[in-house]
Amino acid sequence: MAKKKKKKKVSPVKNQVAEHVEQVPLEHEPSVADDAISEQEKIAEEEAEDLLATNIVRAKDVHKIFKMGDEEVHALKGVDFKVNRGEYVALMGPSGSGKSTLFNMIGGLDKPNAGRVFIDEVDIAALSTFELAWLRCHKIGYIFQTFNLIPVATALDNVMLPMLFADVQQSEAQDKAVELLRKVGLGERVFHKPVQMSGGQQQRVAVARALANDPAIVLADEPTGNLDSVTGRQIIELLREINKTEGVTVISATHDYKMLTVCDRIAWLTDGAIERYASRDELEIKEGSTDGE
Amino acid sequence: MREMEQIIILPYRKVLQIAWQGMRIRLLKTFLVTSCIALALAFLTFIMCSNGMVEQLGERASEQLQQRLAREGLLEQLLSTEQRSQTAWMLGIALMISFAGIVNAMLISVTERFREIGTMKCLGGLDSFIVKLYLAESLFQGTVGTTIGIVVGVVLAYVEGLNRFGSEAFQLLPIVTLVQILVISFVAGVVLTVLGALYPAWSAAKMEPVDAMRSEV
Repeated sequence: MAKKKKKKKVSPVKNQVAEHVEQVPLEHEPSVADDAISEQEKIAEEEAEDLLATNIVRAKDVHKIFKMGDEEVHALKGVDFKVNRGEYVALMGPSGSGKSTLFNMIGGLDKPNAGRVFIDEVDIAALSTFELAWLRCHKIGYIFQTFNLIPVATALDNVMLPMLFADVQQSEAQDKAVELLRKVGLGERVFHKPVQMSGGQQQRVAVARALANDPAIVLADEPTGNLDSVTGRQIIELLREINKTEGVTVISATHDYKMLTVCDRIAWLTDGAIERYASRDELEIKEGSTDGE
Repeated sequence: MREMEQIIILPYRKVLQIAWQGMRIRLLKTFLVTSCIALALAFLTFIMCSNGMVEQLGERASEQLQQRLAREGLLEQLLSTEQRSQTAWMLGIALMISFAGIVNAMLISVTERFREIGTMKCLGGLDSFIVKLYLAESLFQGTVGTTIGIVVGVVLAYVEGLNRFGSEAFQLLPIVTLVQILVISFVAGVVLTVLGALYPAWSAAKMEPVDAMRSEV
């Protein structure tokens, strides 16, 4: 109990989800044996320690195995990954390095086979589908390589959809959606459908949609993958701008070297593990030689 | 926790609103699916009604009509065992067409939207929301399609009856049998439509969002 109090003190940012989660481990972890209790205490201690840091995303020893017929593909081999609040992080690595897999894990879109993933210090594995949906709705904004807009709905309706899930008043949602679309430079295309827009414009709608519920994190999976280099740069800069003005953490899986010029930190992923981190300053020289523009 | 529940569970009114909007936007597709259901049901109801009429010829038709039909050799033909087995076949085929047609139409119209379901889950849509959405949509399409189909089927059956048996066609089918046929067709149409839509929608809603978005159908 004392541990719990301590936890509360050090985490003024705790929200409803986090508060609920405290009760969850009681159901999941048997508290029969003594060593189980000490284990729990150890974990609680570690967690309290980690809470002092400002990690908004934390992956701990994450493993993911895909089964393809008889073959097992070990996509993630114990990844440890931390992202600070307000950071712009690029996840880079060759195809098949587990980049997208890790990305899906930290987005709560897929569950790891082993290890734990925390978003805003909430263990994703401990959440019910209900709470997970709440988390996706309020804490995370997603941007996909293929845009994934609802094809039959207008830009406005697309941006309003997450707000509808959050039960925002219709008129309020509409005002906010228009404002967001204006912010991403689509103020005059509010009633256009995805098919009537270019790829770059569709991705802008997706950015506006990701921001609809004022998330703490924006996750972008290869946001420039389907765009030409000029449009791609615009999207990257838009993300940077949002990151600065709104204080939103941006995590982006990418192999677009243009991303390097704007992000704070790069995590290099090779063969299912994080090979190294690099800050932007260290990469300045390399970027100049690879961008080729 | 209570507050959270209030935030996330959408009232049915809203689900209906979204479902309605979706169908209106996809007008052509909604129309196609609905008419497919209507067609299948029209066939089923038509077969059941005209079978019902023929079965009652011996009991309910007037002597004049029976004599006329006998003179033309129609009565014997209609009541022969050969004809009866044929009508049983027809009924079986009608049932199969309704089943395959409706379930197939619903399966396709839902599975082609798997990516959309995955996206909705990413944006915070609950599994139950997705199921409710497709329930509302399929209930609407099922009800409208089945109703149109039944009306068309019954009208066609009476037109054929008038053609064969004259104005007595209206007396041939007892009201109880007619109501029975209507109820059976209606229930069959709506249930098949809803099941055809709910099964894929439910399985997609249960998937992890990435899997739903990745699945190519």
